[in-house]
Amino acid sequence: MSEKRKKDIQRIKELESINLATDDIRELVVQTKIKVEKDNELLARKNNEELREHKIKSVDIVGAIGAGKTALIEKIVEILSEKYRILVICGDITTRVDADRIQAHNAESIQINTGRECALNAYHIHKIIENKDLDDYDLLFIENVGNLICPSEFTLGTDTRITVVSTTEGEWVIEKHPMLFKMSQVAVINKIDLAERLGTNIPKMLKDAKDINPDIKIITTSAKTGKNVNKLIEILEL
Amino acid sequence: MKDLLKQLEKLLNEKDLDLSKIQDLKTEILKNHIKGLKIENYIGDYPTFMEPVILGDSVKIGDDVLIGPRVYIGNHSEIEDYAEISNSIIFDKVKIGSNFKLDNCIIIKDSKLNFDNFSNTNGILKGVADSEDELEIISF
Repeated sequence: MSEKRKKDIQRIKELESINLATDDIRELVVQTKIKVEKDNELLARKNNEELREHKIKSVDIVGAIGAGKTALIEKIVEILSEKYRILVICGDITTRVDADRIQAHNAESIQINTGRECALNAYHIHKIIENKDLDDYDLLFIENVGNLICPSEFTLGTDTRITVVSTTEGEWVIEKHPMLFKMSQVAVINKIDLAERLGTNIPKMLKDAKDINPDIKIITTSAKTGKNVNKLIEILEL
Repeated sequence: MKDLLKQLEKLLNEKDLDLSKIQDLKTEILKNHIKGLKIENYIGDYPTFMEPVILGDSVKIGDDVLIGPRVYIGNHSEIEDYAEISNSIIFDKVKIGSNFKLDNCIIIKDSKLNFDNFSNTNGILKGVADSEDELEIISF
């Protein structure tokens, strides 16, 4: 690899926006970005075909850190572990904290530490399922890296995507992060047990989600108390 | 697991390699003895790890590296930038160059692969090499 090429790749890696590309490499940046997105879509579709071939239902869950993704999965797995053989893939920058929590509830969990990548992508999922005997499972959950922005760039190939927000993030959180709600089938407003104390405007949040995506199904939950977790399971048709 | 790795090293040091035995033992180690994420002592930024991965002591890892699933890397080995390693055993004091993509490989102890942009699947790699041509590659 020539020094110039190495430097070009390094600059692409560091660029967060095409607009930051200098003119001499702008076209390369755009082409690379398009190719990566296209490849991810193709691979996500392949992941979905693979899972369906093995009759595995799949759900991926996105949301900011602390919204309650892991807590919801814990509650859901607790309820469903008698009915399904469950695999959970957890994405985090570092640590195995979430995988350890979920493992305690009778589901197999696999941790991906994404390092400097702020979201899981279809290739990560492809590598995991490629190395698993998928006949051992009926249900796959994927818990994405905690944030409401990066996961919108990468579909993973699941049947259903849930975006989780919580009452503690404030009533503007949905309006400020439309991308994920556009691409999700279910929206969950968690920590509903705290809404009254915080004075969070829940009707606004519900309206915002429907304005962004009229087809989205919305539910309020409390992973802590278990409120509406069974209803969420019904919505997911599990 | 340490005993099994020693057994594997012994097989790899034989004059006539029994590739079937080596492959079976490699599979046994990776499938049943590499569990979780044991990655506490590496030197580097924040690579991507897909468990299960076990790293020895003082493993140096470059930027934009993806390791796993099912990878063992021995003590004091060095992985350069943009590498992707899966289903592989890399013994102690190995160095690999940048943009290496390895799947289902074994790299023998003390091997130094001092070049970049290399892919291999299903192989045993050994030697000190400044180019792909100088590298000894035995395919499974």
